[in-house]
Amino acid sequence: METLVKLSFYCFAASSLALGAAALSYIAFAVGRVRVRRATLATSTGATVTSSTADFLPGSASAGRYGTLLTWFGGIFAFLAVLLRSIAAERLPTANMYEFSLTFVLAICMMYILFERMYSIRQLGAIVVTIAFGMTLYIWSLPADLREVTPLIPALQAKPMMTIHVSSAIFAYATFSVSFASAILYLIKSKRNIRWLPSLEILDDVGFRAVGIGFPLLSMVLILGSIWAHDAWGVYWSWDPKETAALFTWLVYAVYLHTRTLRGWRGDRSAIILLLGFAAVIFTYYGNYFFGGLHAYGGV
Amino acid sequence: MAQITVANGAPSRSPIDIIIDRIWRFFTSVRMAVLEITLLALLVLIGTLRGSEVPQWIADAAPVTQPLVDQWYGWDVFHSSVFAVLLTIIAVAIAVCTINRFPVIWGTISSPRIRTSKGYVERAEVSATFVQTGSVAELQQGMKSIFGERRYRFFTEKVGDDIHFYADKNRWAKLGTFPFHLALILLMVGGIVASVYGFRDRDFAVAEGETRRVGHGTDLSVELVRFTDSYIPTGVASEYKSDIIIYDGDEKVDSGTITVNHPISHGVATFYQSSFGISVDMRVEGKTGRTVYDESLEMGFYNSRDNPDAPAGLIRLPGEGLQVAVVSPDTDRSNRPDLDTLNLASGQVWVQVSPLDSNSDIEPATAILDQGTPLAVGDLTLLFERESRFTVLQVAYNPGIPIFLIASVLLVGGLAATFYFPLRRVRGIIQQSADGNTVTLTPLAKRDWGGKRDFYNLVERAGEHFTTTPTVKRPDQDETGHDDAIDDSREAENQ
Repeated sequence: METLVKLSFYCFAASSLALGAAALSYIAFAVGRVRVRRATLATSTGATVTSSTADFLPGSASAGRYGTLLTWFGGIFAFLAVLLRSIAAERLPTANMYEFSLTFVLAICMMYILFERMYSIRQLGAIVVTIAFGMTLYIWSLPADLREVTPLIPALQAKPMMTIHVSSAIFAYATFSVSFASAILYLIKSKRNIRWLPSLEILDDVGFRAVGIGFPLLSMVLILGSIWAHDAWGVYWSWDPKETAALFTWLVYAVYLHTRTLRGWRGDRSAIILLLGFAAVIFTYYGNYFFGGLHAYGGV
Repeated sequence: MAQITVANGAPSRSPIDIIIDRIWRFFTSVRMAVLEITLLALLVLIGTLRGSEVPQWIADAAPVTQPLVDQWYGWDVFHSSVFAVLLTIIAVAIAVCTINRFPVIWGTISSPRIRTSKGYVERAEVSATFVQTGSVAELQQGMKSIFGERRYRFFTEKVGDDIHFYADKNRWAKLGTFPFHLALILLMVGGIVASVYGFRDRDFAVAEGETRRVGHGTDLSVELVRFTDSYIPTGVASEYKSDIIIYDGDEKVDSGTITVNHPISHGVATFYQSSFGISVDMRVEGKTGRTVYDESLEMGFYNSRDNPDAPAGLIRLPGEGLQVAVVSPDTDRSNRPDLDTLNLASGQVWVQVSPLDSNSDIEPATAILDQGTPLAVGDLTLLFERESRFTVLQVAYNPGIPIFLIASVLLVGGLAATFYFPLRRVRGIIQQSADGNTVTLTPLAKRDWGGKRDFYNLVERAGEHFTTTPTVKRPDQDETGHDDAIDDSREAENQ
């Protein structure tokens, strides 16, 4: 088992490196290039003057392609890391912040690749893949003893429920990271009309589509969590801080959906709600650090 | 000067009608719905932070906020009347909105409007036009078959010499919002039913060998046969389980082992494993020599002031006017050993006999009991027989479970239908002209990039079917979403 755990960690390390490189490539692709032209002009007096002009150009297409390739590498290595650890632990690795974050990295890669293929836009990677890379840095910062596989505490000894409940949360958060990226790009594009960024309509649609996938998943998280809580703790809902933080996140996205579908909100206002929604995701994700209550075991 | 003329022909409405209308409009207002959800989110955030250290961080950073933070920690948001009122308003709003919107949506699904206008399709943001030499009937049949391939419904209506058509897909998804919103109401109803008609005993402690009545109008009782716990090397419990027997009256009706995720139900009651602790079997003889207590005392519900790590219990003896405090050895000697002033060894307990009346002048008597050795302490004779285990169960009856399960299915199903099967609609006209017959079609996909993309795919398929190249009008040729960089790379790869 130890060998598998070590191999899993090495795969995670490879994934981390690949995603770091992918994030840099995507950022180079999305930010674009500056081409400076210098011209030497002769004046009527015979003197020469040097003039410089800067052109802002789209990022190199090859930078975007490398970004995609490296994200695939990062995703494949993250998948191997999760797979090997799953074999070692005989369950999906979701029991502590190391395992949860590792699986989250994989989910972000998967959701990002899905959206890149659906919409044929790579600029999202500058933000989504950077989030995935940031998550790998967070994993590196965790205490090394969390890398060891330990038996589940009694409250978590419900493997099927833990697998579905927690993986729903992971994929919901991953899709919300895509909607967050689309909102950021939307706000940039609407303020500074950078022509090589995707159109506002597409960015708006990406955000909506991502929430359309993530919101039902987050609802599943709340429902399955309640069913599990009923078996484990004897009550569906305890108003536990982790539960209510997830409910808060759900309500923020409910506001987004209502304002967009019924009030016809588009544009900056919708994008700002998506930013708030992702802030709520981060708040829920890292809530174990400052929440008490029934989910306190989920902390580091 | 302008004059305002009031038409006399309009029937005047009664004040009650006006009030009802305003209430109806309040509850059907989307603006109000958004405001209500936003308020709810804010309350949930306040309640969530109350369960964290965040308010204290604020008070530490800005001491002037300490009184406010104290109030924050003291306010049980989720059981407050503000929260209950807001939930009630939201539930009513959901019900009223459903009643208000259902006929319109149902009408759109069951009998969609087919007729359109040339101006509409020609001025549409996105459209496609085919010019064909075939007959109108052939074109109509062709369009029907193209839409059919993609599982669209296809309706036609003859308007003059033209054929107007309407096609849609995933129309039932439009109804998904109703089960979803109904589920939200049912979840609230389930919670109310559980709290009104159910019961929940959180600290149902039973010592090994002891039988305890459930109460709550039942004749059930539970015997703990054995409690078992095991630990991983770090000291964390890896498993704890209780072997129990359930009695209905005197009759044994069920037995089994319960663990944290595996409760046992019998009749209305369900027994959940909650926690556990140690207990001490104590026998107490009163002033007259009569046995006044001979039970297992659950430890851990109290803590000794002298040593917080030591589990303690309290025996109340109203007949004697006395109480006996019992403290076991420290469970974690490494934690603040300076606080352990009792220094009990295994097989010992510390006891203190004191009057129940706190104003009494009688001085408390203290002693250390060795297991199996009776000792006179104050007016009592105490015997520490042995140490045993007790389990803490939760006993609950929740009649809201079926409602909750139905709500869960409706909620997830409704959302999945709404978001994973988006409604697609297309309108169009088949017109006769001198150059040939023309088909013009447009999607109902304003600000819906996904809907437009599906439309472009459909038009491409229609072009293949009619072996012609359609004229496609796009909203902004530069803003179609094509990533030039990806297209360039694909071209390069193809070359």
